[in-house]
Amino acid sequence: MEQRIKSFSFVIRVAFGILIIACFYLQVIKFPDYRRLSEQNCIRTIDLGIPRGKIFDRNGRILAEDRTCFNLVFVPYDMKNPQEASSVLSTILGVEKKELLAQLEKKSSNPFERKILKRGLTQSEIAAVSEYAFKLSGIFVQAGLDRQYTLGEGTSHLLGYTGEVNQEELELLKDEGVKLGHFIGKYGIEKQYDSLLRGKSGGYQIEVDARGHQRKILREIAMVPGNNLVLTIDQSIQEICVKELGDRAGGIVVMDPRNGEILALVSKPSFDPINISKYLKPPHSGKNPFLNRVISGQYAPGSIFKIITEIAALETGEIGEHDRIECTGSMEIGDREFRCWKEEGHGWVDINQALPFSCNIFFGTVGMKLGVEKILEYAKLFDFGRPTGIDLPGEKAGNLPSVAESGGAINIAIGQGAISTTPIQLCTMISAIANGGNLWKPFIVKKITTPDGKIIKEFQPVLKKTVFISEETLTVLRRGLRNVVRFGTGAGANVPGIEIAGKTGTAQIGHRELGLPTRGAFACYAPADSPNMAIVVFLDEASSSQAARIAGNIIRKIYTSEDTREETTISETVIQTLPYGSQGFE
Amino acid sequence: MDTKNNPGKILLIVTGILTFLGLLLLYSASKSISSVSSSLSIFLKQCVWLCFAVAIFFVLKNFDYRHWNKLAHIMYFITLILLVLVLVIGTGRAGRWIRIGWFNFQPSEFAKFVLIIVLSRYFSIRDVQRFSTLLGGVLITGIPFLLILIQPNLGTAFLFIVIFFSLAYLAGAKKKHLLILLFIGLFLSPVLWMGLKDYQKQRLVIFLNPWKDPLDKGYNILQSKITIGSGGIVGKGFLKGTQTKLAFLPEFHTDFIFCLLAEEFGLIGVVVLLFLYYVFLNQILKITLTTQDSFGRLIGTGIMVMFFIQIFINIGMACGILPVAGIPLPFLSYGGSALIVYFICVATVFNLWKNITLF
Repeated sequence: MEQRIKSFSFVIRVAFGILIIACFYLQVIKFPDYRRLSEQNCIRTIDLGIPRGKIFDRNGRILAEDRTCFNLVFVPYDMKNPQEASSVLSTILGVEKKELLAQLEKKSSNPFERKILKRGLTQSEIAAVSEYAFKLSGIFVQAGLDRQYTLGEGTSHLLGYTGEVNQEELELLKDEGVKLGHFIGKYGIEKQYDSLLRGKSGGYQIEVDARGHQRKILREIAMVPGNNLVLTIDQSIQEICVKELGDRAGGIVVMDPRNGEILALVSKPSFDPINISKYLKPPHSGKNPFLNRVISGQYAPGSIFKIITEIAALETGEIGEHDRIECTGSMEIGDREFRCWKEEGHGWVDINQALPFSCNIFFGTVGMKLGVEKILEYAKLFDFGRPTGIDLPGEKAGNLPSVAESGGAINIAIGQGAISTTPIQLCTMISAIANGGNLWKPFIVKKITTPDGKIIKEFQPVLKKTVFISEETLTVLRRGLRNVVRFGTGAGANVPGIEIAGKTGTAQIGHRELGLPTRGAFACYAPADSPNMAIVVFLDEASSSQAARIAGNIIRKIYTSEDTREETTISETVIQTLPYGSQGFE
Repeated sequence: MDTKNNPGKILLIVTGILTFLGLLLLYSASKSISSVSSSLSIFLKQCVWLCFAVAIFFVLKNFDYRHWNKLAHIMYFITLILLVLVLVIGTGRAGRWIRIGWFNFQPSEFAKFVLIIVLSRYFSIRDVQRFSTLLGGVLITGIPFLLILIQPNLGTAFLFIVIFFSLAYLAGAKKKHLLILLFIGLFLSPVLWMGLKDYQKQRLVIFLNPWKDPLDKGYNILQSKITIGSGGIVGKGFLKGTQTKLAFLPEFHTDFIFCLLAEEFGLIGVVVLLFLYYVFLNQILKITLTTQDSFGRLIGTGIMVMFFIQIFINIGMACGILPVAGIPLPFLSYGGSALIVYFICVATVFNLWKNITLF
């Protein structure tokens, strides 16, 4: 045992010898190098940020990508003369001197803290900054990454935007290599698939001089790019929708009713994804530019809901195809007067005429026969009151009220009262009518691929459920929807040569008085015999006929695949003669 | 006994000097401009801990080390409970601490001492020549080892392995058996790896390969070397270190305290420190050699190995010749639990010495 204890003594001597040699090497042989490095405390780490993957449309066109840009970076620790620097910079950048001074005067004891003063410098700005470099200690131009969106505002609600990580997010993401100052997805697809799009940050260890300017690169760390996404979106259709919606507040969603692939999704007001801060201040902030109305806007469905009432009525046999009800323009319910949108009434109508002309009296009466419970039961079948599960953050469920809260059968039957739906829910519903009852889960990301194009994951369509609708009911309903466009309230959507079937809907905005602006919507599918697209268009403060006209234009443009700028179409003249809005809700 | 050659007395004197040096360095560290981690409160807290530690020392120096023998079971059991508890409610950088009022308590520090006691007892009453005895020792070490590994605290876990092999070797285990165990261990390590959770793996990967996260950890290594190297032969002077004062190096009051010494006192300071440590370890060795019973000898050696490994890994890491491990430098790094354990160890060794002189 003694011998073995003594062997420890030997090990200790050897180990201590190694430590002394190591320190001798650092403190004597390498002393000049290390003393210089430490005296100037001149090592800085430059973090170039996290690269993100590209986002493609279904045909491989780029919707979003990173681009190299030049940023003006400022290291507070190296700032020597904020007064001088701010006056020089204010002339170069054209920013108020006071504003700059406030930023530049913030002292920091951390030599690695760096702030970006301005992103995306122009060539002349870069030239000017390097010309005055001697006056700008601690300020320099540094390459960085900038996210570019091909369609800009046109895809802002779809793709979302990226932004600097905040404290709370940092707590969750620091294990994934995210650091303060890094950008992460904050909204839309960028947020939903953030961890997949994000690569790994890279940067340099550099030696700087006493003014904080770079002298040499000591070490370079390569960035690792993130994964790419291939969407179901068709860039051309998206562009058509953006153009058709124009500056009107509202939204459009186009979906393939055969599988739930979203072809286009537009919501207005929107924002510029590379200049977010502007939209957080008035006057922009008042318009709610960050609300994706397609998935998070909850509105009364209006007459589009008559589709559900019709299915319920025909399926339960509460009413036959040729049963007639007289519409005189109004009816008395207790002490309240219930009015049709057409003041003089539709006369005696059966279901074949009631749907195209969207007769409130007819569907109200049918609704009373069915009872609230039955109507809500059918609404539930189509998953109203539940999020569709689309792969975007922030989807709302809408509201399917209880019987007590419903506001009565007569209101629910025509899509008024306490019921609210999201446009995407209406789109999955109209798709189910188009495809014979299949409720597909809408989705936007088709494929995830590695930077070199290998497929990591391919998303298959998800059939949530199949609602049973009898052949007879479907025939009557589809003929009705077709007639809405042929000669009914949705005639604005009529496009010669293409069979479109749809339904208009108008709803109150808030608790405004009758006669004030309404929210107009149109849900449709085409071609009627073998549908390959379902569209929902809705407009704040407009009529449903205007929504129908937009839907028609979109379909026409998709089919002709050319973007004619003619605003006056054949159907427009028809629209103007059609009464809408002022008498009540259709 | 001759006072000139009195290992017990020398041990206490060196311990005193090292402790004083530790406070000096922490005071210097507290003058750093970085306000978050190194305000004066760290220095004051360490002073409070030191008072506790000294009090415990005075109680334990008269506590016959053979009593540890009887307490071994219960201490082992309590340690395991605390190690499980720290996994559940642990706080701090790697979830290694249990918070009690103002102070953080680190069970893995106490586990080191308890392991030494338990293994010493086990090896002193069993026939170490038999392989089954060694396997029993593996089990005793393995349970706390795994609990500490998944914290994850790879440095301390590694220390456990070294303590086990050292004590087994010293107790007289066959070299062939020890080699077999070593190979089985190497063979099993991938299995252990598979059992870890992702975040645990990630921390271990960064530990093993700091360049994987070069903007952070790899940066520390470079700064650590610059700090040591810039001290030169005579150093920059007390309180005049620039690297540590400007917070180029995080954690310098704990894991990188050696850099502070090397920067402010230069190679001379480093040599003095290593000399003090060498004398310290040598006194433990001398006392151990004169101890008569094998339980006492094993305890003494275990304690010596523990101190030695911590010193070697910590300084080796600061010099950049060993991977970054969260192992504190005895008596110098900030940390209350560790300081108390060091004083318990010194008291135990001192007690070994007292028992020898009684004969």
